[in-house]
Amino acid sequence: MIPGRLTKELARICGRDAVIVDRDRLLVYESDALTAYRHRPGAVVLPRTTEEVRRTVQAVVRHGLPIVPRGAGTGLSGGAVALNGAVVIGTARMNRILAIDAPNRRAVLQPGVINAELSAAAAVYGLYYAPDPSSQTACTIGGNVAENSGGPHCLKYGVTSRYVTGLTVVLADGSVVKAGGQGREAPGYDLAGLFLGSEGCFGIATEIEVGLLPVPEGVRTLLGIFDRIEDAGRAVSDIISAGLLPAAMEIIDGPTIRAVEDSVFAAGYPTDAEAALVIEFDGLEAGLDHEAERATHFCLRAGAREVRSARDEEERLALWKGRKKAFGAMGRIAPDLLVQDATVPRTTLPAILKGISEIGKRYNLIVANVFHAGDGNLHPNILFDRRDRDELERVEHASKEIMQLCVDAGGTITGEHGVGLDKKHHMPLIYGPDELDTMWGIRRVFDPGAVMNPGKVLPEETEPLHANPGQDPASGELVGAPAPA
Amino acid sequence: MNNQALTPESTAETREIVLAARAAGSRLLPAGRRTWPGAGGWTRDGGTTVSTSRLDAVHHYEPADLTLTAGAGIGLDRLARIVGPNRQWLPFDAPGSSAGTLGAAVASGTSGPLRNRYGATRDNVLGLEVVTGDGRSLRIGGRVVKNVAGYDLVRLFTGSRGSLGIITRVSVRLFPIPEADETLLFAGGPSEAVSMARTVCTSEVPVAAAELVEGEEVGADRAMVLAVRLLGGPREVEESRRRIRAALGTEPWRALDDGGSRRFHAARIGWEEGASLVARLAALPDRIDAAVAAARACATRANGAQGSAAITADVLQGLVRVRAALPDFDPTRLAETLATARREMEALGGSLTLSHAPPQVGARVGWTGSRRETAALTDRIKALFDPDSVLAPRCP
Amino acid sequence: MSAAADSLAHAVKEQEEGLLNCVHCGFCLPACPTYRRLGDEADSPRGRLHLMRAVVEGRLDPGSEAFQTHIGRCLGCRACEPVCPSGVEYGNLLELARHVGGEARRLSLLTRLLLRVFGTEWLARPAMFAGRAARATGIPALVTRLLAGSAPPRGPRLGLAMLAASGPMRGLRAAPAGSGSPRPGAAARATVGLLTGCVQAGLFSRVNEATARVLEANGYQIVPVDAQGCCGALHAHAGDLEAARAMARRNVEAFEAAGVDYLAMNASGCGAAMAEYGSLLSHDPAMRDRAAAIAGRVRDVSELLAACGPLRGSAVRMKATWDAPCHLVHAQRVSSPPQTVLDAVPELEVLPLAGATECCGGAGIYGLTHPHLGGWIGGDKVRSVVESGADILVTGNPGCMMQIGAGLRLAGSGVPVLHLVELLDESYRRAGLYHGESDHGNGSRP
Ligand SMILES: Cc1cc2nc3c(=O)[nH]c(=O)nc-3n(C[C@H](O)[C@H](O)[C@H](O)COP(=O)(O)OP(=O)(O)OC[C@H]3O[C@@H](n4cnc5c(N)ncnc54)[C@H](O)[C@@H]3O)c2cc1C
Ligand code: SF4
Ligand code: SF4
Repeated sequence: MIPGRLTKELARICGRDAVIVDRDRLLVYESDALTAYRHRPGAVVLPRTTEEVRRTVQAVVRHGLPIVPRGAGTGLSGGAVALNGAVVIGTARMNRILAIDAPNRRAVLQPGVINAELSAAAAVYGLYYAPDPSSQTACTIGGNVAENSGGPHCLKYGVTSRYVTGLTVVLADGSVVKAGGQGREAPGYDLAGLFLGSEGCFGIATEIEVGLLPVPEGVRTLLGIFDRIEDAGRAVSDIISAGLLPAAMEIIDGPTIRAVEDSVFAAGYPTDAEAALVIEFDGLEAGLDHEAERATHFCLRAGAREVRSARDEEERLALWKGRKKAFGAMGRIAPDLLVQDATVPRTTLPAILKGISEIGKRYNLIVANVFHAGDGNLHPNILFDRRDRDELERVEHASKEIMQLCVDAGGTITGEHGVGLDKKHHMPLIYGPDELDTMWGIRRVFDPGAVMNPGKVLPEETEPLHANPGQDPASGELVGAPAPA
Repeated sequence: MNNQALTPESTAETREIVLAARAAGSRLLPAGRRTWPGAGGWTRDGGTTVSTSRLDAVHHYEPADLTLTAGAGIGLDRLARIVGPNRQWLPFDAPGSSAGTLGAAVASGTSGPLRNRYGATRDNVLGLEVVTGDGRSLRIGGRVVKNVAGYDLVRLFTGSRGSLGIITRVSVRLFPIPEADETLLFAGGPSEAVSMARTVCTSEVPVAAAELVEGEEVGADRAMVLAVRLLGGPREVEESRRRIRAALGTEPWRALDDGGSRRFHAARIGWEEGASLVARLAALPDRIDAAVAAARACATRANGAQGSAAITADVLQGLVRVRAALPDFDPTRLAETLATARREMEALGGSLTLSHAPPQVGARVGWTGSRRETAALTDRIKALFDPDSVLAPRCP
Repeated sequence: MSAAADSLAHAVKEQEEGLLNCVHCGFCLPACPTYRRLGDEADSPRGRLHLMRAVVEGRLDPGSEAFQTHIGRCLGCRACEPVCPSGVEYGNLLELARHVGGEARRLSLLTRLLLRVFGTEWLARPAMFAGRAARATGIPALVTRLLAGSAPPRGPRLGLAMLAASGPMRGLRAAPAGSGSPRPGAAARATVGLLTGCVQAGLFSRVNEATARVLEANGYQIVPVDAQGCCGALHAHAGDLEAARAMARRNVEAFEAAGVDYLAMNASGCGAAMAEYGSLLSHDPAMRDRAAAIAGRVRDVSELLAACGPLRGSAVRMKATWDAPCHLVHAQRVSSPPQTVLDAVPELEVLPLAGATECCGGAGIYGLTHPHLGGWIGGDKVRSVVESGADILVTGNPGCMMQIGAGLRLAGSGVPVLHLVELLDESYRRAGLYHGESDHGNGSRP
């Protein structure tokens, strides 16, 4: 709970209905899409403008409370979870598209605009916003900026940071900083770039300028069915090595195929297959068939049992269905999911996949994999039931081993979901004390008092001693049982 | 100054140099092969040059991963020769010289016209090893193409111009060399060329890059030439060529295929070489006409008696550059002209920055426009990495 | 089924199963009209499910302010269902949640009163009669016009306007009484029992009549089903499951006895409810299979029409726009058949409606129980209808007709609201399909 005086002050700034302090109501903000972590915030504030955010930040900081920005809460690393009774500043009401500047292919938005809705609005001008996280119908651009989100089509088009050209940010001290802005060369340090992927620890993005692209004229989609996942991995490598640049290459592994086919979302993938590979090309109509033919050839040569292709939008969606429904389908076979997000060099994929399945076997867990194969970005989903204490423990061990395996192969612990609460203890796997120290330092450049989203990204045991005495080390433990109300 | 350059052979040696300089209170100027000294006004007089030229080993190259890790001192030309046989390339075409180093390209952080297709330099740097001004050696980022673990220090160092640390090792993302590479050159009068450029900007054709260049530089008898570069599969490029011609309603003055196209653009990289004034005027692409006009005014004024000044524009990014040799010039009048141009650009929401200028002009006009709101952050960042100002001064 | 088995504990258990399917992905947030407007996750589908789960886990009291407020504020529009990757059956869970919530705290007086009126025939008849009488006097229309103005429609103003809006559209001549004689030569198609419903039978008897005529014109054989009653949807939505089940049993028996191939629905709220009789009565071993069988024969009138072509009428030169009722598009996932029916009206220009699949805020008795939010949502719908540039709004559910019609009148708009079958009926009438009379020539197959 926050002090009554603060509640009143916030209500004066944002309006009474924009301040939520009722403990029961706050329950719904206790986690993001990674429900393994639950912490109830002290309050939730829903401002509408940069100025309201600025004054809210000032008021909360004056009362000595930490702040957690929150978009749509679709994050998969616990980033928007409020530790230590922090005040959540939600962007749900900051959902206006301020301008679509079609001649210059750019748009200016409030952070709460939903990714897919920007593309829908831009479609009128024949434009779209390229980064397409699988959660794009729900996640906000502010969340995308904070996580530097990717998506299936980032193989060809690149991730969020490539499209964000300018930011307005409210910092912990209540100052408003503008970085970048298209049409302006921003000499000096790339502050906007530094802010991207900062997971809400540097400030709150309140206005975002992005670049748009013309909607591709044509699309070709292929689905390769493989008996061995290594073969699918080899097809991916061969396609890339041959100089083809598909817009997307996604692999759905055997356990996932079976989960999907057993569910109400059956997509018609053969259940005895060990991998399905979705490949998509886009661009000018001319040449697409040629590229699709070549990719088909590489799939067959790598051992694909069959390669299906889509002629129209309906067929295309059918081929994608197994990929798109995978997460939901897994939700139906197990009460809880832990999604990992490691990226490995593409060439190590076959070995890593084998290793992951062995780890799963060893801990007697179902590990199903759906991933962005073109970038080597894995998403092993560990299925479990949190009510089973023993299983929960095995999940923790398995997840750590998977992470280590990927790091040993030259990979990293997160490719797009961010570190958040979930992976902060894995940071020392890839960074030494000097690097972590420097990250603490850079965090303090933006937020000297550590009030913005504390307890995320950096493990507190690595915090340099001289800083922030009195800051409660926030817990990053999996929640074994429902927290007491 | 050449003879005093230090050329460490390892990261550890680089670190020792920095620590020693810090202890002695002396100054260092990080550099690559020094093909482009003094760029940007961020260097300063005095100090010992530390060149990464001997840190040029290839540490890791797995063609199927399309990634490469090498010492910062590797020349971009050598890198191209190593990855070329696998039909791969690093599409960095920022102004400079092909003999420039990978580390310097990252440190300067500028991008060329290919940015439109491949992203900016900073989008393709995956990881770095740096020695900071306070003597720490850091490995940041990684060598995988997608990585969001921790804060993005790689982006901070890309474009930091030697002010935070000395880059010793770089991991980059490579791309397949497209099957077809074609450049169409359309010639026209000054306003005609600009209007063609605007047509290209708003067309749906996936153009890889588009540049306006002075006609006489490429031997055309019209004032300006619009160079439209098409990259991709042969059919896609053929179709694009057809549509570009239809959109512009005219035949290209010249069409360069594969080898010709590559050579043409390779030559453009060195366009700034030998210039003592380079100004960059940026605006939104639909105001390219205003930016070109302002740039032309600067060029005319800078010309003096010699008349070697020229402009070029990356039309898809809305960036116009002015280059001048300036054997004889009136610093006051030149500064005035530049200041006027900056005011015009800022009124359009754009900017004017100097990447090269005679010191007295640079000091008078200011290398960049004012960006006071970020100054406090910038100072704190500089202090975090280089508290004793051992390295180049902080970026403005 | 015993009342004991239907206890709170049972409902709670049942929720747990369904609730665990929710992976908390948040995909449903943008689809939810209350979340879009309020921005509070407690007013989102995921938030509501989370509150339900908290009750199941024993972390939240179902009588708490939070549970009551946010479960109460749900429109029950089920826009959250089609977008859910995990297939969470939100509608069912909501009914159970309301049931649990209702046990914990009595329903509000107004809600109880309204449900009583709709559910009890001897009460409904006079209420509807009084409504019809009031409408005939023209008083509601007059008051509505006087009240028309800036504020969003709500409270008593809305009640009056709804009544006014339920009158037949001016300009469309009242169709001849009696049922249409089947087109000569049309092969006898399936037999159909028409749910006459409580609201329709009262205020919208003309919609029922039009439904019968257009179905017959397309070759369906209408079988009267006298023993039927209210479908129980409103009771189920409000959490009064016991009453809803009793009504369901009565209807299952009535339609079984009539032995029809299909149950035709012209109120999508009723259609959605009857299509789910199987799950509503799933704990009743005696009724379960029978209910499922009847539920399987439920069809929206647009589906029946689309399935047969349908026959084309004569030109109606107007600009129309289609508002998809929630319980048609989200709950029953029927989206293209109404378009097919509109296409059967020659020269009708169909304009797009922004937010066509979003709830109109009517949601049964929502506009009366949540005047502010209902008015806000309704106001947005009215605005987009006006902005669409259409002369008429066509929809497929009496509740929506009343809600949007009332809103339009209060906003001073002259755009009338028609049921889809009324429009087709008019087109058929002009084509002379009913008594051989013809304005513009004969109807024809496309
Ligand atoms: C089924 C599913 C599929 C997914 N697929 C992908 C995918 O393909 N690629 C991918 O990259 N991610 C994916 N995600 C993860 C998630 O959707 C992204 O991380 C997304 O960017 C989060 O956006 P959000 O609005 O939900 O942010 P939230 O979850 O609310 O917040 C995420 C982080 O951003 C911070 N934040 C939010 N808004 C702001 C702001 N305005 N300023 C500063 N900080 C802010 C928060 O503090 C938090 O740390 C997926 C998630 C799900 C559930
Ligand atoms: S039924 Fe409608 S109002 Fe209720 S949660 Fe779902 S979308 Fe929201
Ligand atoms: S979309 Fe479905 S699974 Fe996702 S949060 Fe909503 S109800 Fe739960």
